[in-house]
Amino acid sequence: MTKEELISYIQENFSGKVELIENDMPEPYFLIEPKAIVAFSRFIHDDNKLIMHFLMNLSGVDTKENMEVVYNVCSYRLKHRLFFKTVLPHEKAEVDTVKEIWAVADWHEREAWELFGINFNGHPNLTRFLLPDDWDQGHPLRKDWVGRDVIPFPEGK
Amino acid sequence: MANKLHLETMQINMGPHHPSTHGVCRLILTIDGENIVECVPDIGFLHRSIEKICENRTYAQCIPMMDRFEYVTSMMCNWGFALATEKLTDLVVPERAEYLRVIMGELNRIASHLLCIGVTGLDLGALTPFLYTFREREDILDLFEMTCGQRLTYNYIRIGGVSRDIPPEFFPKCKEFLDKFGEKCDDYEKVLTENPIWIARNRNVGVITEQMVYDYAVSGPSARASGVNFDIRKHDPYSIYDRFDFKVPVFYGGDCYDRYRARMAEMRQSASIVRQALDQMPEGDVRCKVSPKFKPKVGEVYSRVENSRGEMGFHIISDGTVKPFRVRARGGSYNHLLVTPEIVRGLKIADLVAIFASLDIIMPEIDR
Amino acid sequence: MEILELAWIFEWLNENLLVPIVGDGEFGILVRNLILACSVFGLLSLIALCLVWWERKVSAHIQQRFGPMMTGWHGILQTVADAVKLIQKEDIVPALADRKVFFWAPVICFVCAFAAYIVIPFGDGLIVSDLNVGILYIIAITTFTIISLMMAGWGSNNKYALLGGMRSAAQAVSYEVPMALSILGVVMVTGSMSMQEIVKAQSAWYGFHWNIFFQPLGFVIYVIAATAEANRTPFDLPEAEQELVAGFNIEYSGMKFAMFFLAEFVNMFTVSAIATTVFLGGWNGPWLPSWFWFLIKTLGMVFLFMVFRWTYPRLRVDQLMEFAWKVLLPLAFLNILWVGLYEEVFSKW
Repeated sequence: MTKEELISYIQENFSGKVELIENDMPEPYFLIEPKAIVAFSRFIHDDNKLIMHFLMNLSGVDTKENMEVVYNVCSYRLKHRLFFKTVLPHEKAEVDTVKEIWAVADWHEREAWELFGINFNGHPNLTRFLLPDDWDQGHPLRKDWVGRDVIPFPEGK
Repeated sequence: MANKLHLETMQINMGPHHPSTHGVCRLILTIDGENIVECVPDIGFLHRSIEKICENRTYAQCIPMMDRFEYVTSMMCNWGFALATEKLTDLVVPERAEYLRVIMGELNRIASHLLCIGVTGLDLGALTPFLYTFREREDILDLFEMTCGQRLTYNYIRIGGVSRDIPPEFFPKCKEFLDKFGEKCDDYEKVLTENPIWIARNRNVGVITEQMVYDYAVSGPSARASGVNFDIRKHDPYSIYDRFDFKVPVFYGGDCYDRYRARMAEMRQSASIVRQALDQMPEGDVRCKVSPKFKPKVGEVYSRVENSRGEMGFHIISDGTVKPFRVRARGGSYNHLLVTPEIVRGLKIADLVAIFASLDIIMPEIDR
Repeated sequence: MEILELAWIFEWLNENLLVPIVGDGEFGILVRNLILACSVFGLLSLIALCLVWWERKVSAHIQQRFGPMMTGWHGILQTVADAVKLIQKEDIVPALADRKVFFWAPVICFVCAFAAYIVIPFGDGLIVSDLNVGILYIIAITTFTIISLMMAGWGSNNKYALLGGMRSAAQAVSYEVPMALSILGVVMVTGSMSMQEIVKAQSAWYGFHWNIFFQPLGFVIYVIAATAEANRTPFDLPEAEQELVAGFNIEYSGMKFAMFFLAEFVNMFTVSAIATTVFLGGWNGPWLPSWFWFLIKTLGMVFLFMVFRWTYPRLRVDQLMEFAWKVLLPLAFLNILWVGLYEEVFSKW
């Protein structure tokens, strides 16, 4: 499906809960309520006209005001792509896990939890894996993070 | 002796310093005799936080970081990052630079597959094919050295083009390499593909089903060995790949043997792409003018390239300043290591080694 | 060519030098045996050192490289340099190792590897002791090596080493059976277990009445089983570098490692020597002196084992077992059946 077809198809089937983010990229980009993430993921994964069975990437983002989780999915069979994200409050960043839908989300979510402090409800083992086991300096990829031993990058001319 | 025999499983640490974990990966194995009951990967030994470092650098300064992201195919990492940035900036890359990118990328793919095949042989106890593949890899690295002065971390593909034009002696050398490469591939086939022990070790070992490919986002040759006909170069073309005539080799077994064969077939296709690119290459600039402190427009992009280990994607968020706001790199090995515990359950330790090698897992790509 | 035979030189030395000094009483025999043992030991150590160098050269040329080139002529002193390095190295014993077992394992391995040479005929009359159960003795003593490997695996207190030791035990037990059965065919023909008798039985046809021509199947079975017996690729599972890092000898360093290493090469020479004696006519051959024929044939076999190693990948442990019990064992029985038929039916025509 082309970008326009994808947008209209998803807005038809998921009206009200999704919000389109205008961009000039070839992929449609939606903003989803945190509560609707699992339902939306389930829908695009199972729907016969979408078959978004391939989670390319899941990244946490700290926008300074909010936390975001960005999902990049595509379909190998129908060869189209779709991006969507959800916005979470900074203090209590929580979203349901999509591990049941895309098994690969397991590690991506663990990483987002570890580096951003985004909590994924229902994820069975949110444990350290990239950082050292005795890490106690918070979530390093947050924008306001100041580590104990960090030397700031010198500002070039 | 009337008591029942007391049996227990044994926990064994495979890695971080183990010859066949291809870097510093630790696999915590629970084994029952020789059979693997459970395998838990423990990663992070190579974590350099490239994503955080990139947030503190300008876009142009990020390119050398990407060399370290996955050092076996640095060209493709440079390319992936440059491609994503160019999408954000609406840069038009000169024609000649595009061809140079394709040539370097495909040569790098061949080099990477040669490494994979050689190391698979090494891991299965066949030490000779390793030396054979490295002989050809050496030729490719010489070509790279001629082009950009580096043999491992190239920093060649820059935003808006490539760093410099190729020297005139590159053409005959590259042609010479391509001419003999077909024969050398036949040699590998003779040594490995028809070897009964090789077949016995690889056939029906570590089968990844088509459903697992989707669930675990397995990509690249490993996915194509499981019957998934998807190659980003063909089905979602970037750069100028739509101008070349090449096939996407697909195999249906999903086992180690088919992954090996997929790589083998892909190398031949890559060689043909390089040959076509050499023939079609136009004259002209190799770099468009980009300020080192250019500012892309505000926006968000996810762009992917077909790496030799699968899909390599870069998710970049720009806030309009000289530095990227957020960079996330995604490599194929990440998912391949995630799927490994699923497919090794119940197999032998020796099979784990074969699977690990055939999935071509490279640790820096996982830890970043 | 009689002049080049070594046996009469030894006889002459014995009669003119040794007997006048130490006499031929019990003490004399003791001294004589000690000297014999030392000379065999020295010769084999030399052979093993040369084999290490040769293996490196063979592997290098198969892999299109040079191998050692800097130490001496084509790197011939490389092994000496390695040995000197290994002797100098610190002898590390893991803290929780079973020290006695850990210490004795390489010693037993080393001793067993050399003990087999008591009954191997290096040439016409060149044999330390012609036991009448020679071949049985060899099979018994080479199997003893496995105990040392298990000791090494257990004593190191390392899980990989333990796995390696277990593998070696399983492998040796399985491959001992077809190996013994394949030799049994020759014993049936010869009617004797003495090594000298076996060689002499092959001396017809100007020294070309070799058992391999009558029992090719037995020879093939023997070669495969011997590869497993000597822990060489494709059957080098006990020390698979890529799976078990180095298997049973993972914790060994310095001289203890060198003992395992030398024993491996001596073992390879042993199985080649047995193949030569049992199947390839031993020291029989025209024109050249007998010990020379023996060396040519044995080194030829060693070369075959080396080519195996640098050509094939390694088998998996269950495939190894399956191959021994489901393929080699029935074939070995078939071979015995064939030999019996041949003896009873064809040879009487």
